[in-house]
Order: sequence, then C-alpha cells, then structure tokens
Amino acid sequence: MITVEDPVRRTLLKRGIALMGGLLFAGLMAPAGGYFLAPLWRHSDEGWSEVGPVSAIPVGTPIKVDFVERKKDGWATTEGRASVWIVTTDGAQFTVYDPRCTHLGCPYRWDTEKGVFLCPCHTAIFDMDGHVLSGPAPRPLDRLLTKVEDGRLLIRAVTHPQET
Amino acid sequence: MRRAVATWLDERCGWRTLKRVLLDRKIPKGVGWLYTLGSISLFCFLLQVVTGILLAMNYAATPDQAYLSVKYVTEEIPMGAFLRGLHKWGASAMVVFATLHMLRVYFMGAFKYPREMTWIVGLAIWLLILGLGFTGYLLPWDQKGYWATVVGTKIAEQAPFLGEEIATLLRGGAQVGAVTLTRFYAIHLLLLPACLVIGLLVHLFLVIWHGISGPPDRERR
Repeated sequence: MITVEDPVRRTLLKRGIALMGGLLFAGLMAPAGGYFLAPLWRHSDEGWSEVGPVSAIPVGTPIKVDFVERKKDGWATTEGRASVWIVTTDGAQFTVYDPRCTHLGCPYRWDTEKGVFLCPCHTAIFDMDGHVLSGPAPRPLDRLLTKVEDGRLLIRAVTHPQET
Repeated sequence: MRRAVATWLDERCGWRTLKRVLLDRKIPKGVGWLYTLGSISLFCFLLQVVTGILLAMNYAATPDQAYLSVKYVTEEIPMGAFLRGLHKWGASAMVVFATLHMLRVYFMGAFKYPREMTWIVGLAIWLLILGLGFTGYLLPWDQKGYWATVVGTKIAEQAPFLGEEIATLLRGGAQVGAVTLTRFYAIHLLLLPACLVIGLLVHLFLVIWHGISGPPDRERR
C-alpha cells in the first residue's frame, strides 16, 4: 500500500518521472533543433552546371558553348539555356567567361584573325585573358567558377570578378 | 531558489493553486495503466504539433512540388527523415490510442452522468483526429496518398442525397487535383488543429472539473 507519507518512494517516483520526461523531451528536441538550425551549417555546394566533356574544348582557341543551366532552389530545380566562352591553353586549366560584355551586356564574339574578343555594340575589345584592350568596357570579362569532374567541365553560375 | 520562483509566480498568477488543481488532483482507488490512454493520446498530439510545424517549413502544397519537397525533407535535411517518420507513425499512434481511450471509457461506463459532455466532446475530438489522418495522407502527393483520396472522396459520393455535393466540397472540384491539395493542406494545418485545440481544452477542463471516474465497483452491483 502506497502512503502519502512515504517520502523516499515519493521522491524516487518524482525524480523518475522528471528523468523520463526529460529524456523524452531531449530525444525530440535534439532532432527538431538540428532540423530547424540546419540552414546555419548546411552550405550547399549546389549550383554546378555541366557544360560538356573537356575533350571537346579546343586548346588555344576560345569556344562558345551552349548548355543547359540547372539552378537548384531547395527542392525545386529550374533549367534554362545558357552559354559561356571557354578558353584553355593547356587542356587542363579552363577559364570560363560570362558571354556578356561588361559594358552594356551585349554578346561579344571571338575575332579569329586578330585573336581578340570583340563586342559589336560599342567596339570593346578584350584579349584572351579577358583584359580590356580598348573600348568603353569598365572591367575585364566576368569569369565563372569552374571545376573538372570525370572529364566533364562544370561551371557555377555565380559571376566572380576577375582577379588582377 | 525554486521556492522564490514559485512564490513570484504564485503572487502573479496563482501558480500554487493552479498546480494543486491541475496536477495534484485526487485520483480514485483502483485506477491503473488503462487510465493513461488519454494522456498518451495527448502526448501524441503534442508530438504531431512539434513535428508538423517543422515539416510545414519545407512543404510546398502544389502538385508539381509537393512530392519533391517531401523528398527534400526526407533526403536532404538533417533529421528530416526521422521527424517525418515520427509524424507519420505518431499519426497512426494517435488514432490507435484515442480509440483505445474511447473504448476504455465506453466499457467502464465512464461516459455516464455527469460526464456526458466530456464523452460527446471526446467523440468530436476522435472524428477530428480521423479527419487529420485523412487530409494528412494526401499531402506527400504520392501514388498511395493520391489514390486513397480518390477512393475516400468516392466513398463520400455514395452518401444519400448530398453525396455528390459533399465529395465536391471535399475535393474543391470534380476531380482530385491542385485545388484538393491546397484544400487538404489548409484543413490539415489550420482548420482541424484549431478545432482540435478548442475541443481538447474543453475536454481537459471537464476531466479536471469532474475528476476521474473510478473503475466500476463489483461490490456495488
């Protein structure tokens, strides 16, 4: 028979309940907290789009490549057509330029005879490294992040101002 | 320290009286594990609230994204699969325990005078729980949930006189589709939980007001 005057048993039961309740609460709150706080430490490395096989890129001559750009936003992925200019001098290091002139965003082209990028709108001229040779362009061509995985070139659609 | 906090609270909101009335209640002789079924159901509900709020943070109630967003929760968010599992199994557990609780009350005759109102509100709560189960089942927008809803609303169609109208109201249209999904979403997250909370408050108030009814007494037959 349990009596109210049994302080040892009463304390034990109280502490037992508190302990079990605490464990249950912690067991739920730990994963819930992890879930809620996940954006703080989950730095997504998504946003890489595949441009194509590395072997298809000619060495020494810039090439304009059209590809399907995938943008990941949470669970949603949107696809769009995009293009970039790719330059490689050794087939291993790739420089990828945003295809828009840094002046007013016109698409520029490669002039094979002169060996320069030429913007038809206001005659901005860039060399193969993207530097401004003449014209109204305020800065060198914008570069994109690149990486090579399994012989395929990937680019990240985040413009990244050229160093130097 | 604890005393000081209790006193501070007591002076401002009558904490000690509240605690005595709500937690230190007199319990009749002979109660046992069967009398915990209601509390277990309540615990399940709180679990559903916590996990449900978290799941709703990453859910898109549109046909083209619902499944993807649930997949995202399951595969890409840390502990997402665990919390989704808790919500899914917790839902079943809530139906099971609420039903067992109801059967316990029924077979022990605990619904009798003066507790009829507790019983009736309890029945309403039980129906709300089933409604939550039905609407929640569609939300992942997978084959199982979709067809279960098609079948479920077809069953509603069989009701006499107003069957068609009831089914159309449930679906928001002639077929299960985008409108059904947002409808079930709103019902599952807003309407039913709000009704359930109100029902639970009334139910719990009545339980405390009347006290727990003891088990039937063989001697006094």
